[in-house]
Amino acid sequence: MCGIIGYISNEDGGNGRDDEHGGGERADGGPTGGGRALPVLVDGLRNLEYRGYDSAGVALVEDDAVAVHKQQGVIDDLALPDAHPATCGVGHTRWSTHGKPTDANAHPHTDCTGDVAVVHNGIIENYDHLRAELEAAGHAFSSETDTEVVPHLLEAELAARREAATDGGRVDEDGDAGGAESAADGDGEPVDDVGPYRTASTSGGFGDVDVVAAVEAVVDRLEGSYAVAVTVAGREELVVARQDSPLVLGLGDGANFVASDVTAFVEHTREVAYLEDGDVARVTGDAVDVRHDGAWVERDRKTVDWEAEAAEKGGYDHYMLKEIYEQPGALRQTLSGRIDEVAGDVDLDVDLPADVLADVEEIQLVACGTSYHAGLYARRLLEEFADVRVTVEVASEYEFTGGRDPWETLVVAVTQSGETADTLSAMRKAAKAGARTLAVTNTVGSTAAREADDALYIRAGPEIGVAATKTFAAQVTALSLLTVHVGRRRGALSSERASHLLENLRGLPGAVQQLLDASDRLQAVASEYVDEDAYFFVGRQLGSAVALEGALKLKEIAYVHAEGFPSGELKHGTLALVTEDTPVLTVLTEGARPKETLNNVKEVESRGAPVIGFSSYDAAANYLDVEIPIPDLGVLEPLVANVGLQLFAYHVANELGRAIDKPRNLAKSVTVE
Amino acid sequence: MKAVVLAAGEGRRLEPLTNRRPKPMLPIAGKPLLEYVLEAIVDAGIDEVVFVVGYARDRIQTHFGDGDDWGVDVEYVVQEKQLGTAHAVAQAEAAVNDAFVVLNGDRIIEPSAVTSVAERLARDGGPVMTVTRSADPGAYGVVELDGDRVVDIEEKPREAASELINAGVYGFERSVFDAISETPPDDAGERGIPDTLAGFVADGGVSAVRYGGLWEDVSHLWDVTRVTGHVLDRDGSTRDGDVAETASVADPVHVGAGTSVDANATLRRGCSLGENVSVGANAVLSNAVVLADAVVEDGAVVRDAVVAENAHVGANATVVGGETDVLVDGNLYADVRLGAVVGDNATVGGGTTVAAGTVLGDGSTVEAGCTVSGRVPSDTEVRRG
Repeated sequence: MCGIIGYISNEDGGNGRDDEHGGGERADGGPTGGGRALPVLVDGLRNLEYRGYDSAGVALVEDDAVAVHKQQGVIDDLALPDAHPATCGVGHTRWSTHGKPTDANAHPHTDCTGDVAVVHNGIIENYDHLRAELEAAGHAFSSETDTEVVPHLLEAELAARREAATDGGRVDEDGDAGGAESAADGDGEPVDDVGPYRTASTSGGFGDVDVVAAVEAVVDRLEGSYAVAVTVAGREELVVARQDSPLVLGLGDGANFVASDVTAFVEHTREVAYLEDGDVARVTGDAVDVRHDGAWVERDRKTVDWEAEAAEKGGYDHYMLKEIYEQPGALRQTLSGRIDEVAGDVDLDVDLPADVLADVEEIQLVACGTSYHAGLYARRLLEEFADVRVTVEVASEYEFTGGRDPWETLVVAVTQSGETADTLSAMRKAAKAGARTLAVTNTVGSTAAREADDALYIRAGPEIGVAATKTFAAQVTALSLLTVHVGRRRGALSSERASHLLENLRGLPGAVQQLLDASDRLQAVASEYVDEDAYFFVGRQLGSAVALEGALKLKEIAYVHAEGFPSGELKHGTLALVTEDTPVLTVLTEGARPKETLNNVKEVESRGAPVIGFSSYDAAANYLDVEIPIPDLGVLEPLVANVGLQLFAYHVANELGRAIDKPRNLAKSVTVE
Repeated sequence: MKAVVLAAGEGRRLEPLTNRRPKPMLPIAGKPLLEYVLEAIVDAGIDEVVFVVGYARDRIQTHFGDGDDWGVDVEYVVQEKQLGTAHAVAQAEAAVNDAFVVLNGDRIIEPSAVTSVAERLARDGGPVMTVTRSADPGAYGVVELDGDRVVDIEEKPREAASELINAGVYGFERSVFDAISETPPDDAGERGIPDTLAGFVADGGVSAVRYGGLWEDVSHLWDVTRVTGHVLDRDGSTRDGDVAETASVADPVHVGAGTSVDANATLRRGCSLGENVSVGANAVLSNAVVLADAVVEDGAVVRDAVVAENAHVGANATVVGGETDVLVDGNLYADVRLGAVVGDNATVGGGTTVAAGTVLGDGSTVEAGCTVSGRVPSDTEVRRG
């Protein structure tokens, strides 16, 4: 899924007015003033980031060119000028599921002359055929995307039309004859130029050619789904087209907008018009003209009357809660097509063959924050099921130090974004030392995925909430699959044990759903224990990894003191802090040594601390103030318990009125060391 | 024009399948009922949709998100207490500006029902209601017409005065909100849309649109397999997942993503498997609907049945299938095709025989080798005795 936006105002260029009035004022008239294209597009793209954030770009219309700034990464990392006089431009934010998010593949895409810039959401199914045709006609492509055929087709179409219209008048400096030829093939429809269309009086490379008619001719040749927005050098207009991908027009006062979603511009205007499939529209600062099947049509104006931010959260109050609930679906994606219970093996698209793995003496997991906790979980699984020594390192502490042979070490970098600076730095140190590297990430083609020898994708879909939730579950799941892969290839894991672990993995989405079905209960528990001095999270083995993660969630979104540690450590210090005002949350499941943990529970209980147990251990019931049952799922039970901890943290933070999706001082992807 | 979809109800008659999901989220051929409703709205050219949600609303919100996957804007309003369909419509007052259409979130209809209501609404104003012909009108709201005007609506009458029933697609102007607030609640404190319409009927103000297209209602557990069969007949097979070469798969069936069907298993026509389902070797499924994450082990026979999310049917268990008499809320339904319903997270032990008409509550467990029949409550354990 990608997001597109376009903006145009009828003010003359020049350095824009300050946009201070944007601070809370919802001016009906929308923005006015020149030079605002850049800030409006950037703000709009931020609001569209939920549609994807692996690359971003803008195109700004100048008199004789289109200035394109684009690169792989989130919009806030995009290198942009401080100001730009443009009053017209388009922007794009991308989430690639196929192909890599490189700078070249980022939108906008341009033609050979650089006069046409296009952003696109959707899939052009016949692009390979069109691309071959255009390349044969001499067009040079600079990306691997389907989208790039559009600017080149348009270039050819515009050139052909210019020649026809001016009867050999002005000739473009580049003289792209090949383009004109190919356009002649695709063209054939006479252009009806009556209607509300007004020719722009500009001096761009394509002069007075009717861009709307050219876009109509181009989209006639496209198969698939698309919402496209086109800008042409020197033309104060946007031309857009829609087929099976969302596109909405925002109608301001002296400024108009187009976007994949109203959220992109709702702070500027609430007057909108939705385009229908097959529509092509010309948008200027003060007019919107829509064509359909060669005729001018009207599209109803509507007033959007809901809060924009609420829209993309799909009825949830916060992204975090939405993402917690998305876990069963995300985990099905993580597993899909990868497990073979019959054979007791997995099918991962990673290049880690048996001969490589047989030589591995140590696997080092490097990660930060929540990903580090996923690493702690995976360490136990790898050691138990794949019979390999594993160390887990906080990435910022990592050095490839003594006692290790790089040829016998596999370094696995776990990072949701694939851009975490500390993790990248650790991975580079390992690679420099000569170790083989594997990235486990959510982001296709991210820096980590590109730089590592191989990548394993967790397939959790975009995660917007700063507090990682579904990506933790998906990381542990992907690392469990990796455990089977490694264990089987090293001959350390019997197909029978593997088959059993895979059965449990298949059961994971259903078990997580059962915790979600108990959300009301966790909300009640959170509201009962919302005002306490501190919270302690304890467990053993896999349970201690989850205890750390549970405490981190509570700290980062609720801003309360929380500590997670192995429950055996209680009596070595922290027990002194335990009072009746410090709830203890504990994991009493398989994989977490519930019997021993229960002894620690008794210690805190005798000091009056309320105990909230996430439990599949029947003997614990009498010692718990609150028992949240965890379904039977073998070594994955602690991961299911973690969903309960997520809900607890969420509801505590919500009771405290915290900014859950954007906690203070924190950012989603930490790209500085 | 916006569409308001009523999706807040629980669907008690469909327990245990509705213990964890609202009725509009019952999957039919891999998609929830509500998705068919949304698709009809989208195909009718409406791109702003308001879902009135309540019971287990997270299931709806997680599936539909902001509507982007369907190219529309979906907005949610919450009906905290389910106090009738008119009360549900009233919750959408702040979300609609002008005339709007209203649909039930649990009825499969065709887009023409929506477009014809929208057209009539634009021409004549509201209220507008759709009527369709039914072989069993007495089970629904029976509508009497004089030309295009509604002269009477009677809920589930003993003697039906006509074969036309309320098809559940309406068109209203904003004035309906005043009418709803003036509608007296019934004994249970609920206000239904037909109650509100009754006030307009008296003034001859309700115009009827005749609808003859597909109209599928899931009222009872046995409707899940029946409606799945109809939809598969209409839409054809979809096969994702990993189906062994030696498995025998008839058409039409639905096999969801990430689902595996092992060697020599048989899927007869009308079967629908959700995502991440596992069907073992030599299992035989006939007219069976299996929801996501469920497991049907080697050699199990599952006929005329619904196996709900994350349920397990053990090796060589047999769901006998066929027709039987079922008692629901004191009403006897004779000769309905209901092999069994295995509730969410329930387990049927290996070798168990499940008699026709059995309903196993969610989270229930049946020990291996039992013979089980009748209704088993949620979270109970059935042992061999």
